[in-house]
Amino acid sequence: MIRFPAAQLLRIVAIAAILLWSLAPIGLGVITSLSTQTDVQAVPARWLPHHATLDAYRSLLGGSGDFRAGGTVSESGAFTHALWNSASIMMLSTLAILCVAISAGYAFARLRFPGRGALFWAIVATTVVPVFTVVIALFGFLADAHLIDRKLGLVLVFVSTTTPLAMWLVHNHVKQLPTEPEEAALLDGCTRWQAFWHVALPQMRSGIAALSAIIVLLVWGEFLIPLLLTSTNASKPVTVFIPEYIGKYTTNYPLLAAAGVLAMLPPTVVALVLNRHIRGMLSGSS
Amino acid sequence: MDRPDTASTCGIVLEHVHKEFPGGIVAVRDLSLTVEPGELVVLVGPSGSGKTTVLRMVAGLETVTAGQVRIAGRVVTGLSPRHRNVAMVFQNYALYAHMTVRANIGFALRMAGTPKREIHMRVNQAANILGITELLDRKPGQLSGGQRQRVAMGRAIVREPAAFLMDEPLSNLDAKLRVEMRAEITHVHRRIGAPTLYVTHDQTEAMTMGNRVAILRQGRLEQIGTPLELYERPVNVFVAGFIGSPAMNLLPARLDSSGDDWYATVGGCRIPILPPARVALWPFAGHDILLGLRPEDLVSTEDARDSEHGIIQATVARTESLGSELLVYLSLNSDVTSPPLTARLDRRTAVQQGTYTRIGVNLQRLYFFDPTSGAAIR
Amino acid sequence: MGMLMVAPAVIITAALVVYPLIKGFQTSLESADTAVGGQPRFVGLGNYGDVLRSSTARDAIVHTVIYVALAVTFELMLGLIVAVALHRAFRGRGIVLAILLVPWALPSVVSGVLWRRVFDPDSGLLNSMLQQLHLVSHPHVWMASRGWALVLIALVHVWGVLPLVSLILIAGLQSIPEEVYSASAVDGATPLRQFRHITLPLLRPSIAVALTIGTVWAIKIFDEIYVLNGTALNTRSILMEVYNTTFVNADFPHGTALALLLTAVTALLAAGYAVAFGRSTT
Repeated sequence: MIRFPAAQLLRIVAIAAILLWSLAPIGLGVITSLSTQTDVQAVPARWLPHHATLDAYRSLLGGSGDFRAGGTVSESGAFTHALWNSASIMMLSTLAILCVAISAGYAFARLRFPGRGALFWAIVATTVVPVFTVVIALFGFLADAHLIDRKLGLVLVFVSTTTPLAMWLVHNHVKQLPTEPEEAALLDGCTRWQAFWHVALPQMRSGIAALSAIIVLLVWGEFLIPLLLTSTNASKPVTVFIPEYIGKYTTNYPLLAAAGVLAMLPPTVVALVLNRHIRGMLSGSS
Repeated sequence: MDRPDTASTCGIVLEHVHKEFPGGIVAVRDLSLTVEPGELVVLVGPSGSGKTTVLRMVAGLETVTAGQVRIAGRVVTGLSPRHRNVAMVFQNYALYAHMTVRANIGFALRMAGTPKREIHMRVNQAANILGITELLDRKPGQLSGGQRQRVAMGRAIVREPAAFLMDEPLSNLDAKLRVEMRAEITHVHRRIGAPTLYVTHDQTEAMTMGNRVAILRQGRLEQIGTPLELYERPVNVFVAGFIGSPAMNLLPARLDSSGDDWYATVGGCRIPILPPARVALWPFAGHDILLGLRPEDLVSTEDARDSEHGIIQATVARTESLGSELLVYLSLNSDVTSPPLTARLDRRTAVQQGTYTRIGVNLQRLYFFDPTSGAAIR
Repeated sequence: MGMLMVAPAVIITAALVVYPLIKGFQTSLESADTAVGGQPRFVGLGNYGDVLRSSTARDAIVHTVIYVALAVTFELMLGLIVAVALHRAFRGRGIVLAILLVPWALPSVVSGVLWRRVFDPDSGLLNSMLQQLHLVSHPHVWMASRGWALVLIALVHVWGVLPLVSLILIAGLQSIPEEVYSASAVDGATPLRQFRHITLPLLRPSIAVALTIGTVWAIKIFDEIYVLNGTALNTRSILMEVYNTTFVNADFPHGTALALLLTAVTALLAAGYAVAFGRSTT
């Protein structure tokens, strides 16, 4: 509908603004992480550091001993450990959620069994329950099972709170796929299970890729649940670890920004690599 | 499980098959149908007539509400699809997108635990029959519509199934390819010899490919017979209108007799009725009937000889030249409300739009139907 | 086989979501002072009354309503602009869309961290910029004043959710057939009128979805506030009040009561949108 040059120009301006809006905070974070505390505290504020330095990263990742982080003292290796916590929790949760959600989402979309509709809607309905409500109630149960401050406990909570949404996405994805290849497989001698395994599952590949990405992003980015359920560095993921670098009076911005940059690397890579799949699933079924 | 049955030990047999979907929609009513070994029976009907449901019940993809299905003499009514040994070609081909053509064709054999070497051999053989040997290592996504069609065929024939099912296999192809594949399927079918049930909504496909054609309407079998039988002796108005292109003209007429003179009055024209037809028409004397005239049985007056042809007078509403022939749309008595009439005439016939014209009717090829029940009178 | 395949999901949901919810409801009906060691006392809906009368909880509710209103408004307005700018093919569109997605992918804690330096009162870039432009004379403590803090926190939240909203609206725009625009252009409609009379009405289902998602995400806002302003009273959201009551003050009954109220409101809103959405499509 827009063809005249003024509109064209307007669109270019809009696109530039979108890019600036999306990238500027990230760019600022990267620059801050390469600055020194002196650069950051300069008045008037200095946008670019005098000398770019990797000191912040070194002190986060390296074994350079204690580092004063605006009041909080960070033990050496603690951040690396937090990254590892995040990664292991994310991988375990994603794997478990995928297994449960794919199997249930597929069955709800394709197979006939008594109570299918009611069960499906009951599970989907729980997606509107704020995760937090569930976690409060689960807290006692987890404490009894000695799963507080344990990665396994976190995984369990992530599985229970993310499965309904994941299952719903799988269900919608399967509904869009043609049924005939599976029927052809049944005629070709497959059992229902073999038809699922040999034909349906490979057909769902792009959907599963998107779903995995979305789960990874959700789990990696979750803050509140681990904030409640972890208390020591043994199980704290990065999201909980990072705010601890925020000081009460002054904040070591280079260190904080470096931690942020490191924590956003995995999700950024996932989002950029699988962005086509993710976009498809987000806009298609939400 | 095996039940020897002398009448039909082979082929596909449906006996009083009934299908009701949840919600009370009846898709198939009391259908009995046999496809003999080596025979290709085409199920044809308008959309919603239940033809695909019939196919899916034979395949086991849909349960049967009542009745029995037998394949190769074995009752398969309650059996799961994989135990039926039937192959099916789907409308959208339903190829396994993640497998190569070779894996697609060999999949059923692999599932059956056939030795690798034999699979390889039989896949090559099937590919050879269909001329797709050079495509074996490609994925379905890299193939054209016609090629996918062939792969779907290959997947079906490699198994040497007891029955062969095809669900509108040509409807996704363009017109030229469709004609080509029509011949190809007929050829492959002759070679394989498995009893085949073929579903289509295209009557040309039905007439050219079927050894016999079964016409379905609203889940009921209207008529089954060879293409010629259906054309020459349709049992009712529906079949008469469905088979033949352009469709048969159906004109409300009044049957009168005065002594030895029998005639049907249509829009003021009297069409004589020859003695052979009179026996069956006896109860309708003095009553309304439906007169069926095939467009190809109408001729220009030069070709009409008095003894065999009657004459209709009508106004030419419109003409369409198809090159090889001329379609003339007429209206009887220049009355707009009168039933239109289509005639298929020789391409050299000179008719002028808007003129009042005389058209010959082949009196030996008249069809008569009961106007209330629609059944053929004969 | 169907039953078997859904069993894990059903069991997990029942045991780890539904059962805790019921258990939580039970807790919310009991008195808070069980520290004495005795049996918890049944107080009915008393805790619900308490939290609704508590001034911090009331403030938190007001803040949350403001967050939701601001977030949804920004998201829809900006989302529409983004969608209109990006829904048609152009060279490099794939890259732009990929970049657009990134803020959504980042942990909200990280978005908070990225923006924190902008709003810092002493070394913050916002203050510095405003001072250089002589718009303010001395540094403004953004997070101290309630008005600005709420707006800026909502903005950071929008930064993370806007990609999702935009993608939904882009998909909606793409589902509008091109012929509709051609036809109306032939009828003499200007681009602006086309947008008003064609795009917006046809986009209604997508807008409803975007609205639902925007509301559901904003109503449980927590991370951004925590990073930008801690648990300070002037920016506290409902969820943060729940967190504070339950885990800082160790008052489970009152915390759970407030959490369940939030759940009920969320569910009602979602159901309301679902009904409205269902009506607008049929």
